Amino acid sequence: MADPLIHVDRLCKSYVGVHALADVSLDIRAGEVHALCGENGAGKSTLIKILSGVTRSDAGTVQLEGKPLPAGDVHATEDRGVIALHQESTVFPDLDAVDNLFVGCELRKWRGLLLNRAEMRRQTLALLERLGENIDPTRPVGELPMAQRQMVAMARALARRCRLLIMDEPTASLSARETQVLLQLVRQFRSQGVSVLYVSHRLEEVFQVADRVTVLRDGHHVDTRDIIDVDHAELIRMMVGREAAELVGRHHSKSAIGETVLQVRGLTRSDSFHDISFELRAGEVVGLAGLVGAGRSEVARALFGIDHYDSGTVTAAGQRLPVGDVAAAMKHGLALVPEDRQHEGLVLPMPVSSNLSLSVLSSLTRCGLVSRSRERELVQQQISALSIKTAGMEVAAETLSGGNQQKIVVGKWLASRPRVLILDEPTRGVDVAAKAQLHRLIRQLASEGMATLMISSELPEILSVSDRILVMREGQLAGELEGATATAEQVLALALPEEREVSVSS
Amino acid sequence: MSSLTDIAIRVLRQREVGLLLLIIVVTAIVSTVDPGFLAVGNLKDILVRSAPTAIVACGVMLVVVTGEIDISVGSLMALLAALMGLLISRHEWQLSMWVGIPAVLLCGTLIGLLTGTLVTLGKVPSIIVTLGLLTALRGATTLLMRGENIDGLPEGLQSLAKSGIGGLPLSVWTAMGVLMFTGVIITHTALGRRLFALGSSAYAAKMTGLSETRLKLFAFAYTGFLTALATVVDVPRLPKIESGIGNGFELLVVTCVVVGGVAISGGRGRLVGVMLAVVLLTMVRPVLTFLDVGEAGEKWTKAIQGLFILLAVITDTVVSRRPTGSARGPVPVKPSSHLESEGAPA
Amino acid sequence: MNISDGKRRFPWWHEAVLGVLLIALLITAGIVNPGFLNLRGQLLLSRHLWEFALLALPMTLIILTGGIDLSVGSAMGMCAVAFGMCYSSTGSVALSCLVCLLVGVAGGGVNGWLISRMNVHPLIVTLATYAAFRGLGEGLSQGESYSQFGEDFSEVARGMWGGVPIPAYLFGLLALGCALFLSRTPGGRYVYAIGHNEQAVRFSGVNVGRVKLLLYASSGLMAGLTTIIYVSRFDTAKADAGTGFELDVITAVVVGGTSIYGGRGNIGGTVLGLLLIHETRQFVSRQWQVDELKSIVVGLLLIGSLLLYRGMQVRNRE
Repeated sequence: MADPLIHVDRLCKSYVGVHALADVSLDIRAGEVHALCGENGAGKSTLIKILSGVTRSDAGTVQLEGKPLPAGDVHATEDRGVIALHQESTVFPDLDAVDNLFVGCELRKWRGLLLNRAEMRRQTLALLERLGENIDPTRPVGELPMAQRQMVAMARALARRCRLLIMDEPTASLSARETQVLLQLVRQFRSQGVSVLYVSHRLEEVFQVADRVTVLRDGHHVDTRDIIDVDHAELIRMMVGREAAELVGRHHSKSAIGETVLQVRGLTRSDSFHDISFELRAGEVVGLAGLVGAGRSEVARALFGIDHYDSGTVTAAGQRLPVGDVAAAMKHGLALVPEDRQHEGLVLPMPVSSNLSLSVLSSLTRCGLVSRSRERELVQQQISALSIKTAGMEVAAETLSGGNQQKIVVGKWLASRPRVLILDEPTRGVDVAAKAQLHRLIRQLASEGMATLMISSELPEILSVSDRILVMREGQLAGELEGATATAEQVLALALPEEREVSVSS
Repeated sequence: MSSLTDIAIRVLRQREVGLLLLIIVVTAIVSTVDPGFLAVGNLKDILVRSAPTAIVACGVMLVVVTGEIDISVGSLMALLAALMGLLISRHEWQLSMWVGIPAVLLCGTLIGLLTGTLVTLGKVPSIIVTLGLLTALRGATTLLMRGENIDGLPEGLQSLAKSGIGGLPLSVWTAMGVLMFTGVIITHTALGRRLFALGSSAYAAKMTGLSETRLKLFAFAYTGFLTALATVVDVPRLPKIESGIGNGFELLVVTCVVVGGVAISGGRGRLVGVMLAVVLLTMVRPVLTFLDVGEAGEKWTKAIQGLFILLAVITDTVVSRRPTGSARGPVPVKPSSHLESEGAPA
Repeated sequence: MNISDGKRRFPWWHEAVLGVLLIALLITAGIVNPGFLNLRGQLLLSRHLWEFALLALPMTLIILTGGIDLSVGSAMGMCAVAFGMCYSSTGSVALSCLVCLLVGVAGGGVNGWLISRMNVHPLIVTLATYAAFRGLGEGLSQGESYSQFGEDFSEVARGMWGGVPIPAYLFGLLALGCALFLSRTPGGRYVYAIGHNEQAVRFSGVNVGRVKLLLYASSGLMAGLTTIIYVSRFDTAKADAGTGFELDVITAVVVGGTSIYGGRGNIGGTVLGLLLIHETRQFVSRQWQVDELKSIVVGLLLIGSLLLYRGMQVRNRE
């Protein structure tokens, strides 16, 4: 066998005493697509950061064609042909495509004093054309749609002599069609002899595009296999460390469905959704499915009064809710567990107790002052009800694991005793055990009479938890399915834009 | 009706167009009241008054572009003026101009570097560092001058600063040079593009391997150098050096940068806009004089300055709330560590 | 099930460091100049302190939310002119005081409105009003100064109850109120939470805009109140009232351990910061008799304390 392009030897890295990587070794061959899989916190991001020179490892080496890569130096690493596309979009939103492509490795003239703008512009146009994208190179990239931004980032890698392209969750914010375009591009890279290290949570993509797959778990290297030797279940087992059987199991313990508690009529916001109408009844869980960017979160935010809407009505408990008034929505029994836990759900540096009581603080007062005993009582009750694992109620929320943080957000809203609970991606970034707990909790709340609207991008989750499924497509309601009988194919058929064939299965 | 507002919004989006229109309108009004406003002498006066502001604004603009701010330039100017006086005045140390002036320039650059070091390596927010320096440097100036004014700068320097070359004083020529130089840096060098890149997204800059420390150090040092340069070419124009020099100058410069359309969160802004803002804000005082509001008018200049900033930021908000065309849609962009609180449309 | 508190071991680092510094300063000053520690002398010379101390209270709250108010000194100029103009036309001190307070609230309200409703960064808004308020005062008064408001009015700032200046009682009362507000009321909790993560607070159903509006308005109100004391002390109302106060006030708050990024800090720290700065200035001006040194010291103290806290933070993490 030929020498590998990249040889990673016994990398170690720890942050504040926690091992992010322990003795990880890995080979990447020339011209292969090598997938890297693992749950959140398995060490994928750390490995990528070390490979691309953003951080240094504590021990171990990385060799490119037998010669060590300089540690902790992005420039030198890129010069050697190792280029990374990071998880969060690494474009400069205020700069145009030309600048975005060449910042850090500008083409120069006049002994390097001045930029060769004409040449950079020419190359940019040529590259974008090669990617089949029609992008105005003079427009600030921040004004382009997400997919085009991703293309600009790809073009950036193409603009350099690239040997290894590292892609960290490149499809996280792309639609299904855009994903297919991107995967096609990955194959194109491979056919040109470029190696790709492909990191993704979406296993379908891994099976579609990868040659080999490496699995990390808790910072350790579990195994590297040829993709044809593994199947879906086995890959999940390697990632999770045990059978993931409990993942999909439908809860068909139908709870008694009561009267309508939330009625939405013709809700419209010109830039994100149109004419959304539906009802929620006590005791039912309604799944809201759709692709990322279909406008689901926007509807949830508008319902709850975070954002304004242009027309339509929201009626809760027979009362019409005013536009853009969170306090009024809360008063009428609504609660929203937002999508972005870290930015919208929690005040990370503040204690667990303050986070749990934040939404109901004004009801815990005595003569205008917060009653400590009543707050304590509430917090203890929520911690034990949701079995939140914490070192104490006064420790900062940021010290808890993702799953427990999410439980705090849920608990904070349950404390307000809502009748309508809106959950936006309630299990994103949560480990398998906590996920199952949250699913049980949702069903349990429903059986106690809660009306739940659950947004999720994970089809198994939608299918297993919902009584009814609403599907959104490009800002509109595309259809409604019965939870007990719906299949993944049916949901996808409604969610995908009409002109394209369904090629993604789950 | 709606198309009219659309047009208005599109015009206001181009800050340069709005500023130019405002300058033209104001000039037209004032010159109908008193045609003397358009006399060569007066226009030259406006040019001379705007020169130091223009020079320093080039530096502060780059600082703001990287996402920082510098409100110490007024006090720095005073300190450097005092230093220059001490070094080369014939009543003081009587050093040669050729030693004294480079020393002043060096000193300005070093203080700029110090500011930059405190911001980048000391991780103290730039608003606090420069607020502290604003007082500390002013205090140092008064201490240095022992409560007396300094005069007796070399004749050659004074005449260059006053009458200058080809009918225009030295400061105006310097401003033009600095302007062109800064323009080239911004559009034609890697350094300039990287400054904008850093301000646009510190995260992406880190991932691209740009050195935040070096870039910000440059911006602050350049501002320090330009402040020294402005001091050297403009202060000798005055009959004597007083400790009150540059009082409120920092505010004027920041006003010009903000009114000129540079985003306070960094990453966006054009030199042309800043220069138009410099001209517009320098015009305020002469305009008040020509409108014959006399002494009373002078007292209103600060209020008008403040009003301009408010107008600029309010148009920014109003304009960005009404997206025309396919501007920033509902794409979820993670808030980075920017200054600006650009919340979702509430 | 009983859940432990799990509190941090010692959360009062900033206060402890400040206290040690303050005591060290007082001891040094006492050795160098034994007259310095005379309590009555200290109280007599403390008049300036109470004015910027009052302004430091709302400033602490504002900085805790991650904001800043650079316009408080200028607002005082505007308020002073309003006071003077009202007095010269009506001759009523009470009415003038009322107008002074109202103008302050209006000014702060403008700041708050722009910050909360227009979403403009507080730094820019208050930099603009820093110029605008002072300019309004100068423009309206045309540099004129108003004086002679009567003996009784002078008593407000100059009077003593039991050897302690009257404004000191006012400050004590308000400081206690602020401390109680911060530690025990929902509003106080929101202030901290906004400083850490405004978005999450908004998602919790709190009207963040209203909280901010009220904070900036109260800063304006405090500027009005401080102006009354200031005018009473000098028996003069002029547009230059409160020049440079914003720096002293911000320095005191920041030296007092309130994070400029918001979320961390308390009134106790601010009080210690106020005392430290005040005593340092007193010491410097008595020792060297040079006024300019004071501003250098304050400037350096501002930068130095932040560097120190930064260093302590890094150490804590390691």
